[in-house]
Amino acid sequence: MEPATLLTLTIFLPTLGALGLYVFDKKAEESMRMFALAITAATFCLSLAILMQFDPTQGAMQMQVKVPWVPTWNIYYQLGMDGISMPLVLLTTLISMLSMMASWSIKEKVRGYLTLFLLLETGMLGVFMAMDFFLFYVFWEVMLLPMYFLIGVWGGPRREYAAIKFFLYTLAGSVLMLIAMLMFYFDSAASPLSGHQSIFDLLTLGSIAKVGGFTSSMQILAFILLFIGFAIKLPSFPFHTWLPDAHVEAPTPISMILAGVLLKMGGYGIIRIAMPLCPYGAQYAAYALVALGTWSIIYGAFAAMAQTDFKRLVAYSSVSHMGYVLIGLAVWKINEQTGAVVNPNHWQMGIAGAMFQMLAHGISSAGMFFMVGVVYDRVHHRDLNKFGGLMQKMPLYSGLAVVIFFAGLGLPGLCGFIGEAFVVLSTWNFSPLLAVIAASGVILTAGYILWTIQRVYLGPKYNGPHEEDLTPINGRETSIAMVLVVFAIALGVFPYQTMISMMTPSITQLTEDMDAGYQALHGADVETVSMTQP
Amino acid sequence: MPSETYLQIGETLKWLLTIAWLLPLGGFLIEVFGAKWSGRKSRAAAYLAVLCIATGFVCSFIALCTWIDAEDLTFSDVWQNPLAIAAEHDDHAAGEHVTAGHGEHAHGDAAHADHGHGDAVHGEVAHAEHGAADHGHGNQPLSHTFTGTFYTLAKFGNIKVSLDYYIDGLTVLMFTMVTFIATCIHIFAIGYMSDELTEDYEDHFVHLPGGKHFHRPGRFYRFFSFLSLFCFAMLGLVLAGNIFQVFIFWELVGVCSYLLIGFYVERKSASSAANKAFIMNRVGDFGFLIGLMILWTWFGTFSFANTNPDQFGEVGLFQMVRTDDGQLDTEGAGMNRVAYMQSLHGERLEGTDGAPRAIPYWLLIVAGLGIFGGCIGKSAQFPLQTWLPDAMEGPTPVSALVHSATMVAAGVYLTGRFYPMFTPEVLLVIAYIGCITAFIGATIALVVTDIKKVLAYSTISQLGYMMLALGVGGWLAGLFHLVTHAFFKSLMFLCSGSVIHGCHHEQDMQKMGGLAPKMPITCWTMWIGVVAISGLAIPGLMLPYIGAVAFSGYHSKDAIVATALTFASKNPTHSLLFFIPLVTAGITAFYMHRMWFMTFFGKPRDQHVHDHAHESPWVMTGPLVALSIFAAICAWGGEHGPLAQLMLTSEPTHVAGGIAPSGEIGLALPSHHEIHGNHSKAGVMALLAAFIGTIVAYVFYCRQTVDPALVKDRFLSIHRFLVDKWQFDEVYDVMFVRPVHVIGKWCVGLDKFGLDAILHGLARLAIGVATWDRKFDEAVVDRVVNVFGEVTYSTGRSLTAIQTGRLRQYVMFIAAGVVCLFVVLFIFLPR
Repeated sequence: MEPATLLTLTIFLPTLGALGLYVFDKKAEESMRMFALAITAATFCLSLAILMQFDPTQGAMQMQVKVPWVPTWNIYYQLGMDGISMPLVLLTTLISMLSMMASWSIKEKVRGYLTLFLLLETGMLGVFMAMDFFLFYVFWEVMLLPMYFLIGVWGGPRREYAAIKFFLYTLAGSVLMLIAMLMFYFDSAASPLSGHQSIFDLLTLGSIAKVGGFTSSMQILAFILLFIGFAIKLPSFPFHTWLPDAHVEAPTPISMILAGVLLKMGGYGIIRIAMPLCPYGAQYAAYALVALGTWSIIYGAFAAMAQTDFKRLVAYSSVSHMGYVLIGLAVWKINEQTGAVVNPNHWQMGIAGAMFQMLAHGISSAGMFFMVGVVYDRVHHRDLNKFGGLMQKMPLYSGLAVVIFFAGLGLPGLCGFIGEAFVVLSTWNFSPLLAVIAASGVILTAGYILWTIQRVYLGPKYNGPHEEDLTPINGRETSIAMVLVVFAIALGVFPYQTMISMMTPSITQLTEDMDAGYQALHGADVETVSMTQP
Repeated sequence: MPSETYLQIGETLKWLLTIAWLLPLGGFLIEVFGAKWSGRKSRAAAYLAVLCIATGFVCSFIALCTWIDAEDLTFSDVWQNPLAIAAEHDDHAAGEHVTAGHGEHAHGDAAHADHGHGDAVHGEVAHAEHGAADHGHGNQPLSHTFTGTFYTLAKFGNIKVSLDYYIDGLTVLMFTMVTFIATCIHIFAIGYMSDELTEDYEDHFVHLPGGKHFHRPGRFYRFFSFLSLFCFAMLGLVLAGNIFQVFIFWELVGVCSYLLIGFYVERKSASSAANKAFIMNRVGDFGFLIGLMILWTWFGTFSFANTNPDQFGEVGLFQMVRTDDGQLDTEGAGMNRVAYMQSLHGERLEGTDGAPRAIPYWLLIVAGLGIFGGCIGKSAQFPLQTWLPDAMEGPTPVSALVHSATMVAAGVYLTGRFYPMFTPEVLLVIAYIGCITAFIGATIALVVTDIKKVLAYSTISQLGYMMLALGVGGWLAGLFHLVTHAFFKSLMFLCSGSVIHGCHHEQDMQKMGGLAPKMPITCWTMWIGVVAISGLAIPGLMLPYIGAVAFSGYHSKDAIVATALTFASKNPTHSLLFFIPLVTAGITAFYMHRMWFMTFFGKPRDQHVHDHAHESPWVMTGPLVALSIFAAICAWGGEHGPLAQLMLTSEPTHVAGGIAPSGEIGLALPSHHEIHGNHSKAGVMALLAAFIGTIVAYVFYCRQTVDPALVKDRFLSIHRFLVDKWQFDEVYDVMFVRPVHVIGKWCVGLDKFGLDAILHGLARLAIGVATWDRKFDEAVVDRVVNVFGEVTYSTGRSLTAIQTGRLRQYVMFIAAGVVCLFVVLFIFLPR
C-alpha cells in the first residue's frame, strides 16, 4: 500500500468505524462492541503494516505525505513516521484495542461511547503522525472533546468536576501552544528556507531552527509556552492535579487510554515540537526540566504512598513515572565555553530511556488501571484498606496483577526497568545531585508498590463489601492482562531488539540537529563547532 | 595455551554454564502452572525442579573439571607434606610454579605465579615472558578469564549495554557450589514441604476471627517454581559479565527472596518481612545505582573486563583501573588526585582529544562505596542488617538456600568480584562495616531463643567476617569463608528445618532439649556444622597430606584471623579490626554450641514437644549427610588445598604482593607472604577463643553447672538491649518509616490545599468576574439601554397625541415647521 493511503487509512479507519456504528440497531449493543473491537484490531494491524514498511535504520522522516489543505495559509495535510513516532503509534493502536476489549463493562449509552472512543483514537493517531503544526493542533483538539465527554458522561460520581478540570487544564495548554504556533508561523517568513513564507511545516521549521533562524529570546519564550502546554499533558508537577481526578472518575478503559496513550502526547510534543523547534530554549531550560522531572518523581511517589484510593494511587504513580521522561529528554550537558555537547551518547541514552519509559509506562500503567478496574467491576469500591486476600479468591488475576505491578516498580526483566535505569544512568553526566535524588525514587517506588500489593492481594481474608462477587477473571479479562504481561516481559528482556534499535537513528539525528541549532546561536566568537566524543 | 584451545575452552565453559543457568528458568515457566497440569497433590513440579538444578550441577561440575584441566592445576602443594611447606616456605620453588603457570601454557599470570611468596623479581620475570608470549588476550591479570556477550540491551554510539558472561575460577566454583547446595536443598524441601501436598492446608499461624485457623489449597508446586526462579537469578548473577547485569540479577534474586519470604502470603508477619527485605535491599541498591552512574559516566562501560580476542580493544573496567601489575595509576593529592585509565598495552588510555582519560580519585572512592552499598543491603551488613532475621518467616529450605548460602553471600561475592575497583579507602570502610556487623550479629545471637533466628544472626555475623576479610586485604580468606560457610550454614539450616519438622513446627529452643536420641542423624550432622563454624580443630595435630585436623570452617576462619592480625600489625591504628573478630570467634563458638546443646541435650523442656518429636525421613536426612560431608572436608588442605588453589587462579593481581602505605589514609595491605608468617600465631589465638566459647557453652547448657538465668538477671539491661536487637527497628521506624508517611501526607495536602486551592481560587475568581460582569451588564449597560428605550418609548407614546390622521393639521405642522426652520436659519446662519 502507498504510504499516503496507509497512514491516512490508519488515522481515519476508526472514524469510518464510528460512522459505521450507526448502521446497527440501537439495541444491538453486543454487535456494536464486536464491530468496534474489530475496527481497533484492524487499526492495530494497519500500524503493523506501517511497521513492515518502516526502515528502522534510517533516522530521517519516512513515508511522508504532503497534500495542500488550506493553501492560502500554507496549511498542509502532512504526515510522516520516524523512530520517535513509530513506537508510539504501535502503542496507541495496541492500547486502544486492549481498552476496547475492556469496554464490555460499559453498559449505558453504548453507541455514543463507542463513537467517542473511536473518534478519540483518530485524534491520538493523528497527533503522532502529523508533521504540520496546524494539523497537529487540530488533532490535539479533536482528541480533547471525546475525552471530555467520555469522562463526563460515563465517569464516576464526581465526573463533571473531573471532566471540566481535565478540559480546562488541557485547553489552557492548547492556548499556549496556539500562541507559540503563531509565533513560529510569522517568524518563519523571515527565513529563506521557507521561501520567505509563513509556514506550519514542522520539518522545515526544524531546519530553520537548526541554522539558528529563530532568535534566542523568541526560542526561550516559545519553548516555555510549548513546554507548559505539554507539561500539563505529561503531567509534570505543578500541572498534574487534573490527573488523579480524571483517573478516579474515568471508567476503566478510558483510564487505560488516558494513562497509556494520552500522557505520552506530552512527552511526544516536547520531543517532536518543543525541542527541535527551539533548541536554544531547550538548552536554556534544561536544568529546570531535569529538576522538575526529579521533583515529580519524588513528589508523585510520596503522594502515592499516602493514598487510600487504589486508582488515585496508580494515578500518582504515573506522575512519578513520567518524571523520568522529563529528565531523560533534558539531560543535555554542554560545555559552557564551546557550547558543544558533553558526552552526546549519554544524552542519546537519556532520550532513548525517556522514550522507552513512555512505552513501558504505557504498558504497565494501562495494566495497573485495568487491574484496578477488574476488582472495581466486581466489588464497586477502591478503598485500599478494604481489600486483602485476593490471592485466594482470584489467584490467576492476582498473579498477573503482581507481574504488572512489578513492571511498574521497575523490576529488571520487565519493561519498567530499562527506561528508569537508562534515564538515571544518563543523568549523572548532566547533574550528579539531581541524579542522586532521582535514583532515590527507587526506594519510594518499591515502598508504595509493595505496600499496595500487601494490602490488596496478600493476607488471609478480604475485608470489604460484596465478598461473594469476587469471581475469578473471565477469558476476556485474562487475554487483556496476558497481552500486557507478554509485552511487559518482551520489552524488558529485549529492549534493543524490540524498540531501542528502531529509535536510535532518529534520536541521534535529533540530538545532532539540536546541537547544531544551539551552537548556531551560542555566541559568535566560538569557532570550533563539533560534537565531542567522550 | 594456543589461541584456538583457549577459545575452545571458553566456548565449552560458556555453553555448560549457560545451560546450567537457563534450565531452572525453563523449569520455573513450567512449574508455575503446576496446579493446572499436575494437580496439587502431585510432586511432579518438585521432581522437575530437582531435575533442572541437578542437571545444572552436572554441567557445572563438568565445567569445573574442564577448568581444572585447562588450568593444569596439579595441586602440587597438597601432594607435598603441608608441614614441610610451612617449614620450607621460603624455599618453596617459585620457579617451579612459574614453570607450571607460564611455561606450559602462555596464559599464566602474575597472580598465580607469586601467590604465597610475593617475590617481585619473579613477578617481573613472569611479566616479561608473558608479554612476549601472550598477545591479544587482554590484560595479564585476566588471562584466566573467558568473557563474551550474549546479546545487546542497548547501544548508543560507542557505548553499549549488554548481557555478557565472565568466566573464571571463581565463577565456575560458585556455579558448582550453588548448584550442589541448591540440589540438596531441593531434595530436602520435597520432604519438608510435603504438608502442602493437599487440597486443604490448614495454616496454624493464621487465626481468623472466630478462633478458626485459616484453610487454603496446598502450594507445593509454587514453592518449587519460586526456588527454580531463584536459582536462575542467582546463577545469572554469578555468570554476569558486567556490573549492570549484576544489578539486573541482583534485583531478580531480591524479588525471588521477596516471593519466598512471603510464601505464606496469608501471614501478616511474612508479607511484612518480605516487604522489609525488598525495601531495605532497595536502600542498598540506591547506593549501587549511584556507583553505576559514576562508572557509566566516567568509564563509559560496565563490563568487568574483555579478554575475548574477537573484541580486542574494548577495555573493561578492571583493565582500565589497574595497570598490568595491578596497581592504580594515580597522580595529585587531595581532591585533585586523579586515577588514570589504562589501555591494554600498558599505557594510559587516551580520549578522543588525545589527552589521557582520568577519573577523580574521590569519585572512584564514591563509586566503590556505592557498589559496596548494594552489598551492604544484600549481605545484611550494618546498618541494613535488620531484614535478615525477619526473613526467617520463609520456609526453612528458603532460609538455607537464599538467606544463608547463596543470595546473602552475593554481596560478598560481588565485593570479591569487584575487588580491583576498590581503593584502599573503600577497603577500610568494608573492613569496619564487616567488623561491626560481625560483632552485632554475634551478640544478638547470644540471647535469641528461636532456633532459626540464632542461625540468622550467626549468618549476619559470618557475612561480616567475610567482609572484614575482604576489607583487610584477604581476598582469598573472604571468599574461602564464603564457600565453606555456604556448606556448613546451609547444613545447619537444613538441620534446624529437620528439627522443626520433627517437632511439628516448633521453633523455640526453650521447648526443646534432649532431642539427640530421637533424631540422631540430624543431631550429629548438625554437630559437624557447629564444629565447623566454631573453627575448632584438634590442637597440635598436623597430618601429612591433610594438614590440621579440622572441619572446613577452621581453615577459612584461620585465614581470616591471620589476615586481620597481619593487617592490624601493619596498621596499628586499626588493631580493633583484629581484636573484635577474635572476640567474636569466641562468641560464635559459644552461641553455636549453646544452640546445639539446648536443642539436643539436657532434659526435655517441653514434654509434649519431646514426645512427638521424630527423625525426618531419608529424603531430608540424605541431603544433610551429603552437605555434612562437604562441610567437613571441602576446605581440606587449607590455603594449600585444592579449593583455595582453585580460587587463587582468579585472585586480582595486586592482592598477593600487598600494598605499601599510600594515599591520604596511609593504609598498608598485607601480602600473602606476611600473612603466612602470622598463620600459626593467629591460628592458636583463634583456636583458644573458640575453645573458651565452647567450654563456657558446655558448662552453661549441657552440664548446666551454672544457671544461665542468673547471668541474665545480672546483666538484665544488656540482655534486654540485645533482645531488642540493639533497637535498630525502633530507631528506623522513628527515623525513616514514619517521616515517609508524614511527607506523603504533606504532598497530598499540598495537592489538595495548595495546587488545587489555587486552581479553585482561579475558578472562583473567574466566576466572580463573570458575576460582576453580569451585574455590570444588568445594572449599567442594560439600564442605559433600557432608559434609552423607555425614553424613546414614552416620547413616542406622547407623540401619538399629535398623530391625528387629519391632513390639514399635518399641512399646518409642515408649514409651521418650515417657517420655524427658516427663522432659525435666519437667526443663526452666518451671513
